Amino acid sequence: MAIAQAMCTSFKKELLEGVHNFKNSGGDTFKLALFAEGSGGKSSTTATLGATTTALVTTGEVASSGTYATGGGTLTRVDPSTSGTTAITDFADLSFTTATITAMGALIYNSSDSNKAVAVLDFTSNKTSTAGTFTIQFPTADASNAIIRIA
Amino acid sequence: MFNVNVSQLGSVVVKTSEQGGLSNEQIADLAVEKIASVSEDAPSHLKQQAKLFKEQLKGIIHHYLLLARKEERGTIIQALRSSGHKEMAEYIRRL
Repeated sequence: MAIAQAMCTSFKKELLEGVHNFKNSGGDTFKLALFAEGSGGKSSTTATLGATTTALVTTGEVASSGTYATGGGTLTRVDPSTSGTTAITDFADLSFTTATITAMGALIYNSSDSNKAVAVLDFTSNKTSTAGTFTIQFPTADASNAIIRIA
Repeated sequence: MFNVNVSQLGSVVVKTSEQGGLSNEQIADLAVEKIASVSEDAPSHLKQQAKLFKEQLKGIIHHYLLLARKEERGTIIQALRSSGHKEMAEYIRRL
């Protein structure tokens, strides 16, 4: 599969190195960029994203449309917290409006630090908005569902 | 030795629309997903209870979303009428 959901391996190492800061106040800027497989991407390129992705790539990213600009949208951080013995972090939902987009997945990356990759999201099928809204909703921030969990 | 498992990544929900914004139904779905969630590892009876609760919740949220949109539209229509834009007010009323 060209886009495979995964926590990027480089991100796990960088966590131990203290590279990423998810705090709401003073944290790094994290972005979410959308990617396509096949003809949905710029110049009909197909994205290859997965655990081995280390930084933002442009191959297969969807073209700018509506409020979506290449490089993606900035995520609003929610302070890391704990749920039982699990540490979690979360982002506010992200929407692009008046956009014509077809995307199969997304990459969350740290634009404050050389666009280092955090995680690859696989939508499992093409999601398309036509002159409409493209919304990505993050899961409930708890020990079982949060987008990023350290158990 | 400690085993720290950071390989836990949640699943996002994607909603899209055509020729306009998300529908009341889609927004209600988003709200329900945020309010009530159940782990994939939960026992089946808990999953069933959660499913029923979510259906009830969705009905309530959907009702109040419709009301909120209707009331906001009413406020906009009145503001347009008051400022002399009667045609535009009528157009929005018919949406």
